[in-house]
Amino acid sequence: MNLTRGQRIKLAGLGVSGQRLSLGISIDAPGMTIDFACFGLDAQGRLADERYMVFYNQPSSPCGGISLATPAGDQAGFALDLSRLPAMIERLTLTAAIDGVGTMSRIRQGYVRILEDHQELGRFAFSGADFAEERAMMLLELYRKEGHWRLAALGQGFNGGLAALVEHFGGTLAPESKAPPPGPPPTPVNLRKITLEKPGQSVSLQKTGAGYGEILINLRWRPVTRAKQGLFGGLLGSGRTDLDLGCLFELNNGMKSAVQALGNTFGDYFNLPYIRLDADDRTGTRAEGENLRINGQHWDQIKRVLIYAFIYEGAPNWAEADAAITLRIPEQPEIEVRLDSHRPDRPMCAIALLENDRGAIKVTKLVEYYRGHLDMDRAYSWGLQWVPGSKD
Amino acid sequence: MAISLTKGGNINLSKEDPNLSKVLIGLGWDARSTDGAPFDLDASLFMVKADGKVPSDAYFIFYNQMRSPEGAVEHTGDNRTGAGEGDDEQILVTLSKVPPEIQRLVIAVTIYDAEARRQNFGQVSNAFVRLVNRDTEQEIVRFDLSEDYSTETAMIFGEIYRHGGDWKFRAVGQGYAGGLRALALAHGVNVG
Repeated sequence: MNLTRGQRIKLAGLGVSGQRLSLGISIDAPGMTIDFACFGLDAQGRLADERYMVFYNQPSSPCGGISLATPAGDQAGFALDLSRLPAMIERLTLTAAIDGVGTMSRIRQGYVRILEDHQELGRFAFSGADFAEERAMMLLELYRKEGHWRLAALGQGFNGGLAALVEHFGGTLAPESKAPPPGPPPTPVNLRKITLEKPGQSVSLQKTGAGYGEILINLRWRPVTRAKQGLFGGLLGSGRTDLDLGCLFELNNGMKSAVQALGNTFGDYFNLPYIRLDADDRTGTRAEGENLRINGQHWDQIKRVLIYAFIYEGAPNWAEADAAITLRIPEQPEIEVRLDSHRPDRPMCAIALLENDRGAIKVTKLVEYYRGHLDMDRAYSWGLQWVPGSKD
Repeated sequence: MAISLTKGGNINLSKEDPNLSKVLIGLGWDARSTDGAPFDLDASLFMVKADGKVPSDAYFIFYNQMRSPEGAVEHTGDNRTGAGEGDDEQILVTLSKVPPEIQRLVIAVTIYDAEARRQNFGQVSNAFVRLVNRDTEQEIVRFDLSEDYSTETAMIFGEIYRHGGDWKFRAVGQGYAGGLRALALAHGVNVG
């Protein structure tokens, strides 16, 4: 049966007789990467339990009722066992989100289909003409109503992409609960952590009643010890990778500059620009790594902050350094961005962008590598003048 | 408790409540939460003679003409997005004021500009239309447009019609192609 956008029907009306179903998806969208997820939502359409976002990082729901499985002939898909879903899961929403550039209007053609015992029972076909600037969409929904499972062909979405989609479900991006990384002691106050998995992913932190406290950005990396460490290695110091944390900032009053060890521009926490870099850790061996602090009380004066790491000396061995930043704000979930892609030929990594989004702190993962400050500045249209400098 | 009606089922409004004098037609839906053109649903009413036509264009009550000449039918105002709780549009009917030549009140629900916006009721969340006895505040009939009329863009909800000395309600619940324009033409309105 062909379904049109908006169409709703009982699963039984499609000829579904059991509880075990498959969803198959295929989208022809040249040059675009599309990620799929299946959300298990409560009666209010909320992601009450973050483990019910089934996607590449979380391939199955705790109950086993939703899991990644691609039917033969499709690009992606999910296997469903409705009988395994807990009663609190009232609806399953299948979503698609563009990773990288593009909008849904560029889809040449696509479909999602529902199968039982390898038999196709329903198909919802769509094309770019059904969309405009959407970067994420809800494709299909299965939901309980008056004792029956029903299906809706949705085909509606969000220009704001995956972040807007997850926000629609009341969730936060790519949530994870995992063991704290070695180094900083575990912080028992923050039960939630957000890992921004892919470049371009972002999360917005809304101001709580008391406003923002100290915004702490911590860079840590693995001290790299290599063969050079012999007799002279320690003296020369070249056997270790030294990462420097810094940021470009732009205030609402138009002031813009950098805060970094290079050039000794450490900034000021209590006065403009309300950003301060702590002492330089040249080896990464100190547990706390390098810290940049933004005075959250003055967040309203800050327009955007670009967090970067720079390898000052030696070959930029990003892979061995295995660096990551965490962003901690009191009463907010901790956000982690790992430098999980590497460019051994470039010493500069733009890690994350913090933007003032109507008062909220919007954090976007970048992890883009550049030849130097000037190169990076141009990429993000910062417009600063750069001259060579050195650390004392 | 609303009575669940199948298509064509009849309710005698006067027998339900002998003192029935005022009814309300309520139309509600959820504002769009996704990006795209808003969902603009409209409730309209045609006051027609025995031949099924309006006596004049003044008896077509809709967003641009919100009151019948004698005041028997009043539309409380156009809602263009669905924002707000409960009924987003209402039509109030005082049956005793309906002129004798009017035999039926035909109630329709349409999606504004549905064709250009490529919308249907199924895309709208929690869209419903209901009939309420205003004196007792009792809901007499309710249709779930989102679930049961998902692929339609316009529908005739039902008719309140004279039967002897009583008023009866007939639930029609039938989709209608062509939107409000086609409905208006079918009921004898001169559409510009």
